[in-house]
Amino acid sequence: MGETKKVILRVKRQAGPKHAPRWEEFALNWRPAMNVIICLRDIAENPVTRDGKKTTPVTYESNCLEEVCGSCAMLINGKARMACSALVDSLPQPIRLEPLSKFPVVRDLAVDRSFMFESLKRVKAWIPIDGTYDLGEGPRMAPETQEQAYPLSRCISCGNCLEVCPQVNENNAFVGAAIISQVRLFNMHPTGAMHARERLEALMGPGGIADCANAQNCVKACPKEIPLTESIAEMNRQAWKQALLGWLFG
Amino acid sequence: MSAAATRPDRSYLLRKLHSLSGIVPVGAFLAEHFWSNSYALVGVAKYNEKSQELQTIPFRVIVEAAVIWLPILYHGGYGVYIWLKGKSNVSDYPWVGNWLYTLQRYTGLVAFAFIGWHVWTERFLTQGKSTYSDVEHALRNPYYLAFYVIGVLASSFHLGVGIWNFLCKWGLAATVQAQRAAGKLGATVGFVFSLVGILIVVSFRLNWHPFGHFVTLK
Repeated sequence: MGETKKVILRVKRQAGPKHAPRWEEFALNWRPAMNVIICLRDIAENPVTRDGKKTTPVTYESNCLEEVCGSCAMLINGKARMACSALVDSLPQPIRLEPLSKFPVVRDLAVDRSFMFESLKRVKAWIPIDGTYDLGEGPRMAPETQEQAYPLSRCISCGNCLEVCPQVNENNAFVGAAIISQVRLFNMHPTGAMHARERLEALMGPGGIADCANAQNCVKACPKEIPLTESIAEMNRQAWKQALLGWLFG
Repeated sequence: MSAAATRPDRSYLLRKLHSLSGIVPVGAFLAEHFWSNSYALVGVAKYNEKSQELQTIPFRVIVEAAVIWLPILYHGGYGVYIWLKGKSNVSDYPWVGNWLYTLQRYTGLVAFAFIGWHVWTERFLTQGKSTYSDVEHALRNPYYLAFYVIGVLASSFHLGVGIWNFLCKWGLAATVQAQRAAGKLGATVGFVFSLVGILIVVSFRLNWHPFGHFVTLK
């Protein structure tokens, strides 16, 4: 019997937010159509390192396994991407897994992305439809607007666009492309537009849209192919117009 | 919403001012500067006549300070601050836009250093009366020649990328197609400025005046 093909995985592990990181190497049995999540599950089934030492299962986040939930973003061979769509056969080995570097590590590959959630709250990334009485139906949305809005609505808040952005780092509070694109989405909606000005003002605050330096990494890294650079340009125009016209005409 | 809340954050305004100042007046002055210095390609007398005209404008020092020195100081100074707040990752993500992001910072610094030296030697040491022979003399030094070539290329590149950045960051080129066109425009501007700048340097260095034959008055 021939030797089973192996998949070599190097995982950057960290027991907790305050612990020092360390590397562990794993040798897994290759199977057809393996992705990185399957590798992590295999480790969980048999948490033994390549040199035979018993260890703990690797902590990671994942849910949908089809690139729509946004939870399994991590650095795979140094690049930010979704683990579920990272096929082992297309990756050079050893496959290096690290947590996203722009968010605080919770444990191993799991990071705390609440910065994004807080930013979404800051820009009011929702459409208020509740009132103390029945507000009735909202205005209709033109099919053309729907077509523009749909790609933007695919954002899964995975954080890859923040991870690859040189302007998102510990010296800077930049909210990142995903949030700016969400403002575009909600300002495009006929009911959402009723709060367009508040969202633009939030975008003109500290860490807002002006911190974008047009490296355009975001649009390359987005697993959902959202036109992020278009969104940023569009919101930039709306923002300075409001800043200028608001100053002139109130 | 109260009216007070419509006021954008100061950092927003400073950042926008930085972006705008790169085009107007700094970029516009670079264009004027290259244009005026192109008179070297016509001839020594024409160049000196043109310099004299610019050196004797009314309100000279006020115009120089308001249109050239302060905007360049602000654009350069705030640019360094922006650089310090960013963290280049081009080694991890070697995409074109990311390269331009990184090079924009280095060329900006080189151009800023060159401009500082250039203003000091050609504006202040000559007491604002620089002539063809002053520049020609400086360019005889091979190190100065090299610094001029580097300064011209860094400034031209920085302006070219800056035009692309400006059009994207003000949403004047919003769609992917428009941004691609803006990129081509920036590349063209960068190339033309590099070429003209080098031709001017060559003109001084070799006393080469290819457009001189149109001059009839001796």
